[in-house]
Amino acid sequence: MSAYKKKNENDISSSSSGSEVPDKMSIYQDCLKTFNESPISPKKCRLLLAKLLNILTLEGYKKSFTTSEATTLFFSVSKLFQHQNNDSLRQMVYLVIKELSSISEDTLMVTSSIMKDIQSGDNLIKPNAVRTLTRVLDETTAFSAERLFKNCIVSPDSSVCSASLVSSYHVLPIAETTVKRYGTEAMQAIFTPKKVSTYNNNSSSSSSNNNGDEGGSKFYPQSSYMSEYHAFGLTYKLKNNDKIALMKLIQNDFNSLKNQFLKVEWIKVVGELIYKDSSLFSNFEQLLYNGLYQSYEAVKLEIAKLITTLIVDNIAPVNDQLFGSVLEVLKQFLVVPRTSTRFASVRLLNKLAMVAPTKISVCNPELESLINDKNRNISTFAITTLLKTGNSSNIASLISTINKFTHDVSDDFKIIIVDAIRTLSIKFPNEWNVILQFLIDSLKNSDGGIKFKNSVVDCLIDLVQFVPSSKESALENLCDFIEDCEYSEVLVRVLHILGDYGPTASKPSLYVRHIYNRVTLENSIIRSAAVVALSKFVIINGGNNASADPTLAKNIISLLENIKENDVDDEVRDRSAVALECIKENHPDLIKSSKTFDLSVLESKLTQYVTNHEFDSPFDTSSVPQYSEDERRALELKRKQDEINDKNSGDFSSAGKKSKKTDASTKNNGSLGASSSNTTFEQRAKIIHEYTEKLYEASIIPSDGSSKFGKLLNSCGPVPLTEPESEFVISAIKHIFQNYIVLQYNIENTLTDSAVENVQVEVNTNTNKTSNLVFDSSTIIDQLMPGANEQCYAIFEKTSESIKEEEFSNILTFVTKEIDPATQQPFAGDEGFDDEYEFDPLLLTCGDYLQPLFTADFRQDLSKLSFGDSCVYNIKENITLQQAVDKIVLNTNCLPLENTQFIMDESEKHILKLFGKSCLNDDIKIGILIKMIKSSKGIALKAEARSNDQELCSDLVNSLI
Amino acid sequence: MGNYFSSIFDRLWGINKDVRILILGLDGAGKTTILYFLKIGEVFNTNPTIGFNVETLTYKNLKLNVWDLGGQTSIRPYWRCYYANTAAVIFVIDSTDTDRIQTASKELHLMLKEEELQDAALLVFANKQDLPGALSASEVSDSLKLVDLKDRSWSIVASSAKTGEGIHEGLDWLIDVIKEEQLQ
Ligand SMILES: Nc1nc2c(ncn2[C@@H]2O[C@H](COP(=O)(O)OP(=O)(O)OP(=O)(O)O)[C@@H](O)[C@H]2O)c(=O)[nH]1
Ligand SMILES: [Mg+2]
Repeated sequence: MSAYKKKNENDISSSSSGSEVPDKMSIYQDCLKTFNESPISPKKCRLLLAKLLNILTLEGYKKSFTTSEATTLFFSVSKLFQHQNNDSLRQMVYLVIKELSSISEDTLMVTSSIMKDIQSGDNLIKPNAVRTLTRVLDETTAFSAERLFKNCIVSPDSSVCSASLVSSYHVLPIAETTVKRYGTEAMQAIFTPKKVSTYNNNSSSSSSNNNGDEGGSKFYPQSSYMSEYHAFGLTYKLKNNDKIALMKLIQNDFNSLKNQFLKVEWIKVVGELIYKDSSLFSNFEQLLYNGLYQSYEAVKLEIAKLITTLIVDNIAPVNDQLFGSVLEVLKQFLVVPRTSTRFASVRLLNKLAMVAPTKISVCNPELESLINDKNRNISTFAITTLLKTGNSSNIASLISTINKFTHDVSDDFKIIIVDAIRTLSIKFPNEWNVILQFLIDSLKNSDGGIKFKNSVVDCLIDLVQFVPSSKESALENLCDFIEDCEYSEVLVRVLHILGDYGPTASKPSLYVRHIYNRVTLENSIIRSAAVVALSKFVIINGGNNASADPTLAKNIISLLENIKENDVDDEVRDRSAVALECIKENHPDLIKSSKTFDLSVLESKLTQYVTNHEFDSPFDTSSVPQYSEDERRALELKRKQDEINDKNSGDFSSAGKKSKKTDASTKNNGSLGASSSNTTFEQRAKIIHEYTEKLYEASIIPSDGSSKFGKLLNSCGPVPLTEPESEFVISAIKHIFQNYIVLQYNIENTLTDSAVENVQVEVNTNTNKTSNLVFDSSTIIDQLMPGANEQCYAIFEKTSESIKEEEFSNILTFVTKEIDPATQQPFAGDEGFDDEYEFDPLLLTCGDYLQPLFTADFRQDLSKLSFGDSCVYNIKENITLQQAVDKIVLNTNCLPLENTQFIMDESEKHILKLFGKSCLNDDIKIGILIKMIKSSKGIALKAEARSNDQELCSDLVNSLI
Repeated sequence: MGNYFSSIFDRLWGINKDVRILILGLDGAGKTTILYFLKIGEVFNTNPTIGFNVETLTYKNLKLNVWDLGGQTSIRPYWRCYYANTAAVIFVIDSTDTDRIQTASKELHLMLKEEELQDAALLVFANKQDLPGALSASEVSDSLKLVDLKDRSWSIVASSAKTGEGIHEGLDWLIDVIKEEQLQ
């Protein structure tokens, strides 16, 4: 009786509109019953299978059925194989088994039945069968499918072929050798057009399913050539470690390919090959150029993308014609209706704008029209791209365009814009006026949350710090802003800045007034910050501030006294008490120290101090580097510039580039080995710090600084002294102490089968010059196992204070011992044999005695320095301007100013501005202006240096490269 | 209309009901070869069965659903999933594989103990008779201790799937038994 009832319900739900939520367990029961009937009803089964599929896909595998339920279902579904000559039922069976296979056990039980369908079934069900087969195969059964897969690949039917290719791809992880055996057939399928079956004349299979089949031919009127794309995917996967095979594959005729996805992949592989070996670029230039004039949008975009990455990553020289065509394509795509195409195009232009802003400007009209694009991502990219194309002549109009638009956008988006503006302020310091106006408008505008306001304040702080001419205006506007600011956090930051920069401004009393207003009106957190800021006006000397204006100082002191007596908050009263004490006792450092610590070093030292429980002695700050205000700003500016540069290439790493990068880092196996030219300033500082630590750890010199060595004045490098792929990869850092020079060699043994022992560097100062150095001692590395990486040292004593250029010749001496593969140690009793290895000499130049220094006004500071010298160089080596600039920056240790360390637009001419100071004497400064021209013969340089030390000036200008 | 009546008639007499037959036995015994000999009348090369093959064939007016299950050790545990509603079991023995005849016997008796197969008829093929060294049907019967079987119609036939010897003879017997049982 109950069975009868159930059946009835089932009929209702299948005929009704399906509004009823399918009950999982009742369908489960129905399946078990119906599939085991004899004979079964195909139609009922099909409907049930559809419901089952619905549950499996809608509820997700995990939630749908337990493993044992799924297995039971699987076995009952498998019984439907007895029902032959009904392709539509069989297709449903396959779909369900495919889904069940991820939860059910024992699915291998249908292997033979599926194989039979693939062998002799109808083309209509073969694709389903093949795809299901891959889900039930495992390592032990996969090989038995080889012939089936192969036969399907050579089948003239496109969907059968595709199914087999895709399935082979999926089965690779468990059966690579099997798939490889029909790799040739897979490759041929790339170039073999296949038909799409219409199934109409196949009466035996369509008898039960007439309606569906008639539509078939109309639905797929012609081939999409999809199997060719799939064939390429599989072939690539099989060959992707074999560069020569890939080269051969790619040499086939691109134009004869019909599938657009295949063409896109093809271009990707071309890109990968170029990334592996940039000399191949010329082979593909024509292909890429022609490809840009093809009909498929996706293919054109892929080519444009590849060329963009080649330009941005500086992989290969892209000629103007090709570059021009890329821009033409992208320009057209900016105005097409398809959102994804517009997005892709503007995104690529954004990348290109980093390296070639002036060339991109041909697209400016289209970009401007995209500012109001309804897709937010597109408009963001359009704006940031436009800002990058900005130059001193169009910034003002750009910013006003943006201004119109920013009112009705979200904060996240505004922050992106402010970020872009911030970059501009560092790039074009002379345009501070418009930028400042924009920032102030954004600040005062009532909309925008704290994150946004904070980012604007960040940007203003940058302006105040790095663009001194904007300082007064910016500070005054900040004063206005805090009169009406609802965010304590932002307020505190502004007060801090006012305290730091207000005292040296032209009208300090103005700031004092604004700050004092806060004391009377705001909460205790803000009042505390205001107290500190006020005290700075008495303490900081310079300008015409309080120290020069006794009445102002007196007023501030009495304000502070007043606060100390009357404020309700402990912290505020305490701070004013401390401030007053500092003023009275003349202890400015407590309020405003003249030097700041290197924060990252400080942090690591403190962590070490705390974790090692070294509390017996007080924490020693002398080993933490300290920076004066100018030095700190120099470092920060450099970091910001590096950041801009980093963003330039950032997030654009194609697969090829990534692998290249990891290659390099695994080879170097240690940060010291990293080639110094493409590491950023900050990374380099970190590496130097890391290795200076090692120097102390190796107890070459006592860390208390009291030794004969004297203070550590400067550390430079790392200088690579071998090719990255040689048997030993060696680089060096030069540590300059007051009385000594310590050369730190980092040596990596890249041999795989030998260990080296007694490793030592034989260092000689160049003998045909008189040297200021006397060899003191050197250290030995006892053993370097394969892949190991250690340091050894050579120490020289200085015989005179004066700086002299030195050249050290280097020979590595060592004993080689073969490794016993069994123990991974040298063979016992092996005496080894002596060997030596000569590597590049190391130079010590006056640049090694310099440190970067910031100046706000390069031109003016230069004119203050009394001595000048100049020198002309002709570099014959075939290097790019960028490489030359990198080398000079590394050699001189000076700070590149006004963003001149980046070559824009692949131009042929460049001017590099550098500023630094001597590590021996903080008052000795030096500035260098280097004009460079690249021609077919090489690079011509003219360097002009000015310094207040004549000798340094001429030494440096003569040892740039 | 005529159709309708005839189907009622058939159902009354149980004639048109699908008859479910399992072919079991150790791997390599020749089960798949026998199945396709019956289906197509030809011998073709087989691969070891991973899972099962199922074919529908009409034999003497009877519609048969013949399930050939793989005999490999790893697949034998799943035989039981296909026992329900089985009218008859064809158990195939490789008569030349004397080493494993005891294993075959064990599997056979284990299977016959199953509740779901209590009413199933049993036909044993002493297969591969064309090969030298093949045990005779009575030798196979002894090894399998068929005489111990109670309450079951059974028969053993010497066969060769290669030559077709004995296959139809065996099946004829099986069909007669099935028809008889349906008429009861
Ligand atoms: N000479 C001879 N060979 C046979 C005979 N029957 C089957 N074979 C061969 O024996 C081998 C195995 O036959 P299959 O039918 O695949 O065996 P199976 O019982 O299905 O094996 P599994 O699927 O692994 O359980 C094949 O090479 C057949 O050609 C026979 O009667 N005589
Ligand atoms: Mg078989």
